[in-house]
Amino acid sequence: MRGARHGTMNALQRIAAAAMSRDLCGFVVPGAEIARAVGIDLGDAGLRLSTTPRHANVLVVIGRLPAGLLDAASVVYAQMPRPRAILTLGTNDISPLPVPDATGPLTQAGLEAAIADIRRIFAMAAFQPDVENFEAPTLETSTEYTCPMHPEVVQEAPGNCPKCGMTLVERETAGSAHRGHAVPEQKREVAAQKHSKPVAVCHDRSKGGHSADGDNHEQHKTHGSGHKQHHMRAKPDSTEAPLQYTCPMHPEVVSDEAGSCPKCGMHLVPVAEAGGHSGHDHKAHGKAHDEHSTDNHRGGHGGHGGSERVEGVEAHFMSMVDLTRDMPASADGLKMEWIDVPFGPFFPGLPGGLQLKLTLDGDAVATTSADSLVGSSDPLPANPSSPIEFVDHLAALSPLSPVAYRLLACLALEKAAGQSVAPDIARARLAVVERERVASHLGWLAVFGAQSGSSWIEKRAAAFQLKVQGAAATDVTTLKPKISTFLAKLQRTPLLAARLSGIGQLLANDTLSGPVARASGMASDTRSDDPVYAEIGFSVLTMTDGDALARLVQRCNEITQSLDLISAVGTVARLEPHSIGAASGTGEAVVETPRGAARLSLTLHKGKVIAADIKTPTTAHLALIGDVAEGQELGDALTGIGSLDISPWEVTS
Amino acid sequence: MTPQMIFLMFFGGAAVWFGIVVFRTLSMVRSALALLFSQTAVGVMFLLMQAEFLGVLQIMMMATEMSVMAIFMVMFMMDPGGMGAMDMTHQKRLSLWAGGIGFVAALAVIWLADWGPANLQIPDATEQTAELGRELLGRSMFIFESAALMILTAMVAATMVAIHPSEGRKR
Amino acid sequence: MTVLIVLVALAVGAYLVAVLESWAVHGRLEPARPAISALALLGRESLLARTPDRLFFEAGPVVLLLAGLLAVAVIPLAPGLIVTDLATGALFLNAALAYVLVALIMAGWGPNGAYAMIGGWRFLGQFVAYAMLIVMPITAVAMRAESLSTVDIVTSQSTLWNIAYQPLGFVLFVAAAMGLCWLPPLDLPTARGDLAGGIEAEYTGARLAVLRLARMVLIMALAGATVTFYLGGWLGPWLPAWAWSAIKIFFVAGLMVSVGRLVPRVREAQYLEISWKLGIPLALANIFLVGVITLVVPI
Repeated sequence: MRGARHGTMNALQRIAAAAMSRDLCGFVVPGAEIARAVGIDLGDAGLRLSTTPRHANVLVVIGRLPAGLLDAASVVYAQMPRPRAILTLGTNDISPLPVPDATGPLTQAGLEAAIADIRRIFAMAAFQPDVENFEAPTLETSTEYTCPMHPEVVQEAPGNCPKCGMTLVERETAGSAHRGHAVPEQKREVAAQKHSKPVAVCHDRSKGGHSADGDNHEQHKTHGSGHKQHHMRAKPDSTEAPLQYTCPMHPEVVSDEAGSCPKCGMHLVPVAEAGGHSGHDHKAHGKAHDEHSTDNHRGGHGGHGGSERVEGVEAHFMSMVDLTRDMPASADGLKMEWIDVPFGPFFPGLPGGLQLKLTLDGDAVATTSADSLVGSSDPLPANPSSPIEFVDHLAALSPLSPVAYRLLACLALEKAAGQSVAPDIARARLAVVERERVASHLGWLAVFGAQSGSSWIEKRAAAFQLKVQGAAATDVTTLKPKISTFLAKLQRTPLLAARLSGIGQLLANDTLSGPVARASGMASDTRSDDPVYAEIGFSVLTMTDGDALARLVQRCNEITQSLDLISAVGTVARLEPHSIGAASGTGEAVVETPRGAARLSLTLHKGKVIAADIKTPTTAHLALIGDVAEGQELGDALTGIGSLDISPWEVTS
Repeated sequence: MTPQMIFLMFFGGAAVWFGIVVFRTLSMVRSALALLFSQTAVGVMFLLMQAEFLGVLQIMMMATEMSVMAIFMVMFMMDPGGMGAMDMTHQKRLSLWAGGIGFVAALAVIWLADWGPANLQIPDATEQTAELGRELLGRSMFIFESAALMILTAMVAATMVAIHPSEGRKR
Repeated sequence: MTVLIVLVALAVGAYLVAVLESWAVHGRLEPARPAISALALLGRESLLARTPDRLFFEAGPVVLLLAGLLAVAVIPLAPGLIVTDLATGALFLNAALAYVLVALIMAGWGPNGAYAMIGGWRFLGQFVAYAMLIVMPITAVAMRAESLSTVDIVTSQSTLWNIAYQPLGFVLFVAAAMGLCWLPPLDLPTARGDLAGGIEAEYTGARLAVLRLARMVLIMALAGATVTFYLGGWLGPWLPAWAWSAIKIFFVAGLMVSVGRLVPRVREAQYLEISWKLGIPLALANIFLVGVITLVVPI
């Protein structure tokens, strides 16, 4: 076992190893929702799931792991305490991760066999005398040197800050060769030096507006600008008195000549003489400074040891109130330290593959930056491709809703070839798509339950999702009353409305799609244009509020509606493209996926697809993350982001 | 040297040592929690001196108060973790003078005040608590009530002053 | 001797409640699970974060355990079976539980990681919410017993248990107790979906074992406190005193651990609002009511 812990298997170790083989705790990559979407029940196979790699001992990789996630997965693996193992189901090559300890096909039986293998491996090989560390390029760190006052100043070697002269402070950062381009951050900051950050961040908050902030300690800007927040004692008097130099940070350091402060290395700046304050400084220092100036008038200048130091606040006292006066504040009015926190690709409670970076102001979100690591900039297969290839490729695009994309491809092909299917096949297709919609919304409910800490919701929704997913129409009809009762109970959960209402309010606009749009009051549903749906009696459901609660209720209503539609149709069938022969032409199709409308247009030439273009709903929703999360408290922000039901797989850049 | 005196010396020393840690450490949070443990040591000393209610109260209140102080330090100060290794002390001379004067004043009060004869018959803890209750709700009620009202007013006023009125902020 | 018995009882109780909690969370009753988990944890590496505040990182779980043990020291399991019968027992309980806050601040600050730190400070906010609601119901209970000693409080309920005498205080106390040991829906410091484990996230191996043990001890201490203050401690017919204590404490702990899993986590701002705007006036009303009833009704 590659992830074994150092040691030999004596009696104690044997007991511990036996315990470990019975206490398997897995961290699922890319996410538990992917496992459910392919029909695998992890809990049923005896695997407990953990929310953090630190508490897990098995890294479970489900399905194909896109290249964008490999770095993040190796970081997660490195964070797991040893002994640790890797279990893959239906996966391709996962280097730089080590060779998996157990593999299997992507089925429940495969999972159970693999888990049995892992248990055996733990019991026998959890401790080994010669173990090697896991190395991967993303895990490399390098030391860099930065100025505590000016975080933008970063150097490879020790030295002094070119702006203020301070000795640069050492700092560890991620990766040596990866600076500058988008590397998936690990779940915990590598350079999580939040303790030293305030030194840097404190002055960095003047992003944009207050340029004077960082410049305050520059020697040559001493006289001049009246608008400093920081009280450098401005305007050294050019009169008779000899200039004293002092350090802006350490006022007790006084010297007769310019140079560097022995304590911090900063350039010394002249001390202003009597009466040399601008009115602005008075305002900045308030009362204490006034005392100072009166002292000066009284006691004369030139003396540095004397009265100035004992009474009142010294001139360069860096008042925190001054420093934070004009800084942007979060919604609760408190100005606090800003830290950058990644809510990386495998965060529990967020869709797997979504790389979210939040800048937190205390516990409120100040800025967001969201990116999908599993989206494809090139979602369509290479041209030319045969119809079967094309359909399969498109179905693999989104593991969370493969059926909808399959249907999209089939419809576009048929439109392009100028063919249409028989009505009963059309109705069967409708039922399959609706079944997937039910499963997808139930899966979203399970993720919501996980995120909001209600394990009851999570378990029931997950169980229903697994049952519905491959079910025949008659099974779906028998499940319908149970699901309805569950949804009714769900909506009556105490504290649910308190948790969700008012969060993530979105007004109706054109970028919205799917349940998110309908919950904001827009009656936009491509199914209303479809005659097959109209036949069965479909009507668009909407809600008015547009907040997270409305989106939850909207999805619950859509589940009930879809179940009714499936019962009305009565059969479900696998989606196969109608044979096209060697037709040519262009066609465009639109399908209402569980997350919104997806559009595909393609060109056929002699039975092969030579050009295609796809638009997915999630790409636009990614931009909504900022609107939903910024200014909110962290928990509310994550709830809002979760309510958007983003599928990072569908993101096309 | 009774065990009581030995323990008193030990916890007294601990209180002083934690107090020194408060200004010797560079980390703000360590400083706040060192002050907390210093006060806990004082509380234990009260317990050793058989002032049970006072000791327990001291231990309880100081834990809460210093923790709140810790978060305020983190919110408002640069480098709360002390990892920048910068000397963050200010007003050194003023502090030394103030500390020195305070120390001399405290010693003067301790040695020069007339504390009365030592009470050799200490009532047991149940009796003490009951007596304390009677005192609080009897002779000293006015003082404590007005102090409580003033504290409440100060809390409310501080909260109101701290909240920025900003338009469009729904909380 | 009493110390030993109490510790053994505590260990057994903590084990049983751990089994119950794992049943509530995972849906399966596995009696051997806590033992297996503990052994497995002890066999794993105990990792240290980069640049942690080592002192706090190590001390956090230990202070939590000590706080729990000190709280247990004043809980009477049977007449005479109490580690120390302080005259200010109820207040001492509260003082010991105040160190839970200190422990969580240490555990949050120690690992030098954003999730843990946010978890730690969230707990401080939670503390501001529940602190008054723990102390004020105790005041009402002590008023009836005319003493702060936990033994006197139990014996004062021989005619009528406090849960019937002061139900409002009971509800407030149990809710605040759940906030103190961060059980769902008040599990803000270790929020699974928000903070990926929060303060627990950076602990592994033996340190995690201590942290989990400490949490179980804390839950037992609070269940014991609830039983002492409101459910009549060891009082009850037919069975011996310690059996009644055991049944009641186990029942209350089981309830605390399983009830909250049905509802979503509360929002911090709302929790504070409800505690201060609704909870404290209710607690004050409770004190007033109990005061009036104590003077008027002779039980």
